[in-house]
Amino acid sequence: MATPPDTLDKVGAGLDALDVPVEEHKPPVWRRFLKTGVPPIIAFALLLGVWQALWASALLPEFQLPAPVNVWNELVRSISTGEAFGILWTSLHRAVLGFLAAVVIATPLGLLIAKVRVVRAAIGSLLTGLQSLPSVAWVPAAILWFGVTPSTIYFVVLMGSVPSIANGLVAGIDQIPPLLPRVGRALGAGRLASARHILLPAALPGYLAGLKQGWAFSWRSLMAAEIIATSPQLGVGLGQYLHNGSSLNDINMVIAAIFLILLVGIGIELLLFRPLERAVLRARGLTGAL
Amino acid sequence: MTATLETTVPSTVDTAVELAGVRKVFGHGNSAVVALDGVDLKVKPGEFVCLLGASGCGKSTLLNIVAGLDAATSGELQLNTSRPAVMFQEPALMPWLTAARNVELALRFAGVGRLARKRRALQLLELVRLGDVADKRPHELSGGMRQRVALARALASTTVSADGAPALLLMDEPFAALDAITRDVLQSELLRVWETTNTAIIFVTHDVREAVRLGQRVVLLSSRPGRVVREWDVTDSSSDVLDEINTHLREVISGHAS
Repeated sequence: MATPPDTLDKVGAGLDALDVPVEEHKPPVWRRFLKTGVPPIIAFALLLGVWQALWASALLPEFQLPAPVNVWNELVRSISTGEAFGILWTSLHRAVLGFLAAVVIATPLGLLIAKVRVVRAAIGSLLTGLQSLPSVAWVPAAILWFGVTPSTIYFVVLMGSVPSIANGLVAGIDQIPPLLPRVGRALGAGRLASARHILLPAALPGYLAGLKQGWAFSWRSLMAAEIIATSPQLGVGLGQYLHNGSSLNDINMVIAAIFLILLVGIGIELLLFRPLERAVLRARGLTGAL
Repeated sequence: MTATLETTVPSTVDTAVELAGVRKVFGHGNSAVVALDGVDLKVKPGEFVCLLGASGCGKSTLLNIVAGLDAATSGELQLNTSRPAVMFQEPALMPWLTAARNVELALRFAGVGRLARKRRALQLLELVRLGDVADKRPHELSGGMRQRVALARALASTTVSADGAPALLLMDEPFAALDAITRDVLQSELLRVWETTNTAIIFVTHDVREAVRLGQRVVLLSSRPGRVVREWDVTDSSSDVLDEINTHLREVISGHAS
């Protein structure tokens, strides 16, 4: 009370200057690569070494444990003939289409479950239960319903990924601090505006985690469906390629297929979900896990 | 479209807020709790009123009723203002939006166009002296800065109406979670903003010193149920008033000891 206002203004300006966060400078690219890129490369090299050593010890017959170089040759063959690209394209475009359809179905479903009490009581636990049901269990039923057609495959993919995405969104919405929607109401947001500008962005981290898991589930479900449901009509995807390898007793093909399936999984995670997640968390100052 | 800061029209209405016999009961039957019991309160346009009381006096409930976030069980509420803006103890900024975007959000809900929104948000951030950090996100700001962004956002939501209705700002212990120096600075900041914007303010606090420093009028509420005990005009505050209010507040609280 005794302090004149302009002195307080100076104090305020001083506080602001003290409070401005210190900018962290990024380490150079090579150092970041050394930290994040080198360990997985070393781990992979070690794995290869163990594999090579196991093969050299000849404990298992060649048709069970192939030499790394033979698998490599199979991969090079399928890539150089262009076969690999066709196979990858068949599987990837199915997975992406199925995943996108799952997002379109699961997002309103998740919103409904999170915001409408009756809906949550009715199907909330069913959805959680479905998440623990291996989607491969749907393959026999789907074949009986749709025949060995793309519908079967898409159905299995949807059953695998919709519960994960919807559950992720529900978890994301449940974790929103209740003050935020209250502020929205105080600022005059209607139900729709509140969902669009407050609920969805606030739930984004949980939603993104759900999307990530949903993608993993749709990829897994797709592989399961492709391995079981094979027909000329469906073309050759990764699952069928794996199935063929098994039928031909060609362990090189089998391992190469598994390798490609893994590669897609890791690739999508590294190229799509990891950067997205980073951007979302960093924007909120949640950099602890990065 | 938007009312600018300089052209706040002197209003012809002589009350901004009028509460008559407002009663609020939570729960039913035996477990019912009477939070407010017949509260009468008038606030003039541009007036700064502090609601003072211990915990459980229903200050926040009263504020929520005026804000339209809660409905009174009985009694009347009349608002001759634009949409009242609310500030809480926490800044409650959207963590994914920059300071400027947080302020713009209020304008967006009010249907202000994009360009006007941008201009107005920056103007309000300048008013709370945060023009330089408009592009920072809440986690990059200090507690005091965040609360000032919240103040700018609250002002955005209440001073937007075109019809010249007086603005109303409701503040629920907004500085309670800040350290003493920051609180001191923000109090003077708030007074400055209040003088420039001619906004009526209802300020809830449990700090007598704060109430006397900020308000033109201090209203003491009793606890469980909340009633208006006494009012003081504190425009020319002396330390006598401070002591007197303190004594009354202590009486109200010690009445619950038995």
